[in-house]
Amino acid sequence: MRGTSPSVRPAGPGRAGGTTTRREGRPGAARTGAGRTSRGARAERLAPYVLVAPAVLILVTLRLWPLVLGVNYSFTGDGASNGTPVGLSNYLELAGDPLFRTSLRNVGLLVLLLPVAVAIPGLLATFIYLRVPGHRVYRAVYFFPAVLSPVIVGAIVTLMLGFDGPLNAALGMIGVGPVDWLGDPGTAMFTVVGVHVWATFGMALVVFLAGFSTLDASLLDAARVDGASLRQVVRHVIVPGLTRTIQFVFVTTMIGMLTSMFGLLFVMTNGGPEGSTYLPEYYIWHQQGQLNRPALASAASTVLFVVMLVVGLAQITLLRRTGRLD
Amino acid sequence: MKRRVLCSAVMAAGLALAGCGSAARTGSPSGNSQQGQQKLVVWDWKSGEPAAATYVEKVKADFAERHPGVTVEFVAQPFDQYYTLLGTAAQSRKGPDVMLFNGGGQIRDRADALLPLDPYVAQDRSRLAGWDAFTKDGRTYAAPVTLQGHPIYYNKTLYEKAGLDPANPPRTWDEFVRACSAVKKATGAACLALGNKEGFGIQFFMSGLGSGILTPQEYGDWIAGKRDWTSPHVRRIFELWKDAGDKGLNSAGANSTAMFTDVFRVFESGRAAHVIGLMSDVGHWKDFGEFLPPDKIGVMTAPVVTGGATPSLPYDGGIGYAVARWTKDPRLAADLVRSLTSADALTAFSASAGAIASDTTIDVSRAGPAVAAIVPEIRTGRPALHVALSSKTLDLMGRLSQQLLSGSTTVDKAVKQLAAADRAS
Repeated sequence: MRGTSPSVRPAGPGRAGGTTTRREGRPGAARTGAGRTSRGARAERLAPYVLVAPAVLILVTLRLWPLVLGVNYSFTGDGASNGTPVGLSNYLELAGDPLFRTSLRNVGLLVLLLPVAVAIPGLLATFIYLRVPGHRVYRAVYFFPAVLSPVIVGAIVTLMLGFDGPLNAALGMIGVGPVDWLGDPGTAMFTVVGVHVWATFGMALVVFLAGFSTLDASLLDAARVDGASLRQVVRHVIVPGLTRTIQFVFVTTMIGMLTSMFGLLFVMTNGGPEGSTYLPEYYIWHQQGQLNRPALASAASTVLFVVMLVVGLAQITLLRRTGRLD
Repeated sequence: MKRRVLCSAVMAAGLALAGCGSAARTGSPSGNSQQGQQKLVVWDWKSGEPAAATYVEKVKADFAERHPGVTVEFVAQPFDQYYTLLGTAAQSRKGPDVMLFNGGGQIRDRADALLPLDPYVAQDRSRLAGWDAFTKDGRTYAAPVTLQGHPIYYNKTLYEKAGLDPANPPRTWDEFVRACSAVKKATGAACLALGNKEGFGIQFFMSGLGSGILTPQEYGDWIAGKRDWTSPHVRRIFELWKDAGDKGLNSAGANSTAMFTDVFRVFESGRAAHVIGLMSDVGHWKDFGEFLPPDKIGVMTAPVVTGGATPSLPYDGGIGYAVARWTKDPRLAADLVRSLTSADALTAFSASAGAIASDTTIDVSRAGPAVAAIVPEIRTGRPALHVALSSKTLDLMGRLSQQLLSGSTTVDKAVKQLAAADRAS
């Protein structure tokens, strides 16, 4: 905090100085009652800074300063070498840790699965919008999981998906061998992502429905009159009309996937089996909370921060570009 | 533009500071040790349970007698978050004065935040057992409350159904496997209830069966830190683990079954004949008693796998109370630790919470046949094998054990990786 406040303050006087010079250049009129005006003008000039100060202070002390500290810690050692600068060795350790590499690979997998996670609510919202029989019930049913906490969802689903659980029993009845949903490294990550999508797509569905309400109904009617099939209606009328909504859902789903899977992972897999469901945030928690390696955890956080920054910037650029096309 | 300036300022500050300061606070003596302190804060994950109520009462009464005017506040933390919270407290050097720890890696990794207790607890040394789990480099950092170990429990009802003598459990590995196939044939129950979702199954397996695999000499060396990972007997532990999986001795879906507490339900409900359980807290005689009648719960020693091995009960100090380095009055806090481990308090704890207390002078005759079988073994028991390993090695072992079960790695590769991890820590 000490380091940052001077960098904010000098800007005030500097600016103020600049304006006064300009004022002085103006002819006579402003000079009458100079004392009062200049005090009032100074107050007016300072007002914006005073008004934004709380927000800036909160951002700086609670966001930026911890960020700087975290980056800083990532260059120090753990345990016996606590507090001593170790250069890049934490980052080298991360690069050499198969578990961390798995966690980054899983981030990549999440990005790849993103279109699926957006398509599901989009498709279901379309059906509701087109008034399939029972659409009112579906609207409530689809939204229902969104009100449950990830811990509750995780606990319930873990019970359902247990090796000797009800789902495998049902599969057994129709003659399909039991699947170790959460115990097989090949399926566990997909299971967790599937559950996450199921638990959160209600929100995206609502956003889609809101988007539909802005859709011009006359376009749809026109398409129908012209004899367009359902697929053609979706392809040529609904999707173009919802570009903005789809973009928004893409961004929010991405953020949700990358930042709020911890609860599910914690309850459903503990990062296992064989470390196959690790995500960076789980890795960070594990190193800091379980293995007592705060500096290594800081390094992993920094890497995660950079990844999120890159992904976020890429999305913003993408959105701007498509926005311009509109 | 302005944002770019701000960003580069942050970057510059970050780079300028890079590598200074420390992620965890460096030790500096906390002053004011003699300033009259009126309150001691204890952190644990036990005191909130109704079963611990009498224990807390007795501790408070005992301490109040010796230090009237000092209040003791128990703060029960959720166990899932306990060490994360403790780590945060340790970094800010503001936290509890006295705190509960699991023995082994959990306390050793955090010893630099703790006060050595040796001068304060000298009088309790012979009365209590299990000190080793709270000792690092010859210094004791906590006083044991319970003993934690890994007896092998078996279901006598299933033995009877299979025509086996429940009073005479198998003594060698071959007999054990034969008994298992008899049980399987007669009742359909698996041999061993195994939960390895968190990677704990291998720890229980290693410690529960280790004394029947390693020779006494190897066992002693392992505990003393001279671990020979190239020894065929060490390799045998992991071979046996893989074999048990391959031959279908384990309960189904071991890698997705949680040790706490799904696997104990598997044993209780008679779906497996044996389980390598615990002595205290959960997964033990009292816990099983909810579903299995106490006289149907047997306790056996590890079956002998290699000739020359002498099976013994693997146990260590389970949980114990430590004093934070930053406490204002170390003597007072250490005195509270003595109250926390007084004979009276421990009697109350073992009776209501279901634990084998560290105080071996406590009368356990009313606690049932399983306890009666465990307590005499404490004298000859030895520290559990997995407790000697660092948390990092244990973490790796958990993942490798899952790979061994699923067949995605070999015993040789796993042992090699573990040896490297063990040497590094």
